[in-house]
Amino acid sequence: MPPNGPERFCPGDKDRSKIAKSLRMKIKHKIEKGNRVGYLFVSPYIIFFLLFTAYPLIFSFVLIFHKWNIIGPMRWVGLDNFITLIHDALFWKSLANTFIFLVIHIPLQIVLALIAAEMLNQKMRLRVFFRGAFFLPVVISGVVVTILWQQFYSTDTGLFNALLTHIGLPRVPWLTSTKAAMPSIALMATWKNMGLYIVLFLAGLQGVPRYLYEAAEIDGAGKLQQFLKITIPAINPTVVLVVIISTIGGFSLFIEPYVMTQGGPLNSTMSCVLYIYKQAFTFYKMGYAAAFGFILAFIILGVVWVQRKVVETEVYT
Amino acid sequence: MTHTTKISGSFILVLFIIVQIFLGCGAKKSQEDGVVRLTYWCSSNQFEIELAQTVVREWNSAHPGVQVAFQPIPAGQSSEEVLLAAIVGKTTPDLCSNIWPGSVAQYVEAGVVVAVDTMPGFHEAVELRTPESLVKAYRSRDGHQYQIPWKTNPIMIECNLGLFREAGVESLPKTYSEFYEAAEKLVRDRDGDGYADQWAAYRDVKVDWWQRFFDFYTFYAAATDGKALLDGNRVAFNNAEAVEVFRFWSEGYRKGYLPNARFEGDAFLLEKYAMHITGPWNIAHTEKFKPEGFEYDFIPIPVPDGHKGPVYTYGDQKNIVIFSTTRHPGQAWEFARFLISKENDLKLLELCGQLPQRVSLLKDSTFADYFERNPMMRKFAAQVPYTVAVDNSPYIQEVFDAISQEYDAACIMGVKTPEQGIADAAKRSRTILSRG
Repeated sequence: MPPNGPERFCPGDKDRSKIAKSLRMKIKHKIEKGNRVGYLFVSPYIIFFLLFTAYPLIFSFVLIFHKWNIIGPMRWVGLDNFITLIHDALFWKSLANTFIFLVIHIPLQIVLALIAAEMLNQKMRLRVFFRGAFFLPVVISGVVVTILWQQFYSTDTGLFNALLTHIGLPRVPWLTSTKAAMPSIALMATWKNMGLYIVLFLAGLQGVPRYLYEAAEIDGAGKLQQFLKITIPAINPTVVLVVIISTIGGFSLFIEPYVMTQGGPLNSTMSCVLYIYKQAFTFYKMGYAAAFGFILAFIILGVVWVQRKVVETEVYT
Repeated sequence: MTHTTKISGSFILVLFIIVQIFLGCGAKKSQEDGVVRLTYWCSSNQFEIELAQTVVREWNSAHPGVQVAFQPIPAGQSSEEVLLAAIVGKTTPDLCSNIWPGSVAQYVEAGVVVAVDTMPGFHEAVELRTPESLVKAYRSRDGHQYQIPWKTNPIMIECNLGLFREAGVESLPKTYSEFYEAAEKLVRDRDGDGYADQWAAYRDVKVDWWQRFFDFYTFYAAATDGKALLDGNRVAFNNAEAVEVFRFWSEGYRKGYLPNARFEGDAFLLEKYAMHITGPWNIAHTEKFKPEGFEYDFIPIPVPDGHKGPVYTYGDQKNIVIFSTTRHPGQAWEFARFLISKENDLKLLELCGQLPQRVSLLKDSTFADYFERNPMMRKFAAQVPYTVAVDNSPYIQEVFDAISQEYDAACIMGVKTPEQGIADAAKRSRTILSRG
């Protein structure tokens, strides 16, 4: 609708209503035409969204009620995929493994990234170099990093065990023991992703007003107190962001176990996404994999919701 | 013309061009000239591309009415994955020559391959060429043949003779106890740190289902004289021989004859272990990269003590299928026959160093000169009649996965007895087969 009516444009005309109507039609036509061009401009995204987000999502939803091996016809199985999942020991195992990974990875990552960010926020020599160096693993391909660490971790021929035996310590079966494999992967993933969270924390730290520290200093607060009472509460939004991003990333754990262990030994590194991948693209159980995918999406939603409730607080700056 | 009209006009033009490009990609060549055109997909390794190039060139010059265009299987994580995508998209070629027999049952179930036993001359071209046991193994459950046997890479053990000599092992092992005896001497701690750094043998400890082709399945074939894992839709591997194979590997890991580790690069040529389970493709590799003075030989897979008769092994076969999307199954069959002819089998040996699935390789004069020049390949050729393929079941990958999980538990990690491992693998396989 034209915002101000036609009166302002043609005062004194005898047949006001006719002209007004004609003007209204022209403006309406122009707006509609403008909209069409607008839609044309956003159409690449809309097409992309429909093809690669909406369609797969709807198709996956349909799949969860079907048995389908890609090349054969789909067969309706109702809720059978969910019933089989509930009775599948490996489904529960993969969930437990992913939670073990998250429990080690997220706190370790946050603590280390925060310490590194705090250090890199101080005035120091070669600060720019160190900031770049910490970020470097993030831009290196995940597969390359994983293959490299796999060699470091090798029980009999790896660098880590060579160093341990050199100083008289026993070898650690990093990837070949059920107890050590997932923590080893979590350690590697922490090293790989820490750079990104350091950058986020640095941005958060630089946003904390100086006067808060000055006031605290005048009141006699030490460095640790300042860190705990000012820095941590002030960067709470960054902490929430890091927790959520790393939780979602952690639930998507795939490349590391896929390249390093294929889920072994004894399925101790079988993550949810690796299990979904195996079901879908090794055994072509598309419906089963889609059902697990939907369950995983709801689990992530639930965990993130709880995290926001627990971690997020009002921030005073 | 307004500015916006110009923009939308250009946008529509660009869209039109893109659509035309996509449509153009799928366009079929004109058939108006009366020439039948076939598309043939070969493996993407450079030697097989060279072979395809040579064979197709010869065929095209001799058959102007049936022209073949070859193309390496498009890039993907595996041939199977690419073929599945092609089947779904109905863009399969007329025929393809790098088909793993284990995937054919699934193609048959989906009705995407042509039954080749109905083609003229099938008996002469296939049944007289291929070892009988393999022809039988490839037969589908409906009694038809959907795959044309092509090549095989029998699995054997490559031995580092230098390490054997150094360890004082005079003869290469033939049985489990000879293997252990040799292994005891071959394991060394060279740097004196209290840990072994040279082993008797090595196998990848990953649990990928196909890794079991090179340990459990090969040794199972040898121990059982080529028995199958399944009998129709029933589990057949729950037997004493399978338990013995599990025990063999379990002892190997427990006593430290094999490292519980993954090696990157070629640790065999770096002399980190003395026995390498591999196929004929490794001859060219060893010749190219071996250090100076490196001596090697190939031996059949060790068998349980007291075993008599020829030693069977896994053949790692690859076959040819004709897809039902073809409009010229007869011509595609004729080209496949040409591909498995004696002359082209010789080219497969010469250019690719791979063996045709042919019973009479060592007796046929066509190949005599080749084996004279390549004595190592003679050992693999002698194994061809005693190779086994995988079972013709759409669930065979899952069955291998079940075995692999239990192999991990019983052999590598030692948390189960071999008996328990095989019993659990059989139980899980039964569930898989019953669900199907």
